[in-house]
Amino acid sequence: MAGRAQIPTKSSALIAMIADEFGVVLLCWDTVTGFLLAGVGNVDLRRKTNYLIVDSKTTVKAIEDAFKEFTTKEDIAIVLISQYVANMIRFLVDSYNKPIPAILEIPSKDHPYDPAHDSVLSRVKNLFSAESVASGRR
Amino acid sequence: MMEDQEEKGNAENGIGRQKQVKDEYLLQFLDSLDGYLTLLDSLSSTLSQGWLELASARHAMGASRINGALLDLKVHAAATSLKVSEQDVDSMESQPCFTLCKWASSDNGERSSGEEKSLSPQLRHRNNSQLSGIISSPQRQKSLSVFGVLVSPKLRSAQLSFERALETLVEIANLHTTMLSMFEQVHKELENTNG
Repeated sequence: MAGRAQIPTKSSALIAMIADEFGVVLLCWDTVTGFLLAGVGNVDLRRKTNYLIVDSKTTVKAIEDAFKEFTTKEDIAIVLISQYVANMIRFLVDSYNKPIPAILEIPSKDHPYDPAHDSVLSRVKNLFSAESVASGRR
Repeated sequence: MMEDQEEKGNAENGIGRQKQVKDEYLLQFLDSLDGYLTLLDSLSSTLSQGWLELASARHAMGASRINGALLDLKVHAAATSLKVSEQDVDSMESQPCFTLCKWASSDNGERSSGEEKSLSPQLRHRNNSQLSGIISSPQRQKSLSVFGVLVSPKLRSAQLSFERALETLVEIANLHTTMLSMFEQVHKELENTNG
């Protein structure tokens, strides 16, 4: 049908992760470790992983590069990103609008999930607040 | 005059149907939004449990046995992956549908299906007999073996918690795409009303 976006079907796609692990060594990388225990870790022939552990030394540029890399790879279907890390590259996350890979913001150990910062929910909130302003004027 | 009245009636019926369609989109959107927030709350609880179990395992086994240096950087494929299929919502739109494939064997270059979970946006519950069968999966053992042969039961529990978190995340991803699709519909309808 004309104008219908094609969804690429995949039989075996990966989950990529950008998770924050701030703090001392004992509190580091727990989220990524947990998901690696669940079997989502992938290391390709170029020794590139499907995850990025964000710590105090990780630059915003490195996070942006990882986000761009994971969202353009064809074999990744879902990107998990700690909401705290997503806030560092908020403009990039909010301007992302492709259906695949899906971007899911997740809580981290030291930073609980805040619906006010969620990319999708803030878009919804803006729509309804704009609509209520417009209907008020009418 | 009869014709005028008939035309007026048809126009009113048309407007009524349009309103019904708009209400339906709005209801579906609000339902998916509610499900999304509920699942995120459930995810937070599951992850908290996983982090606590991981911390308990580290306390039991020692920090040297559970640290970043042990992460497996040898070339290997993910044992848990996703299947993406196209789902027709209505005649105008299609959206991706994610299915979790847990612990698929990748021996001999062939991927046999492990546990395939096609998750609709509803919470699933696992019974004890399924659990005992799942625990013995070789891929699952391999994932644990990164931290040694004898591991704390808390590490196994943490593994199960994060697996549950993955299942919840796939449900969230499916609801996420539904919610975005409904959001676009509602947005379009609102623009048509204002325009």
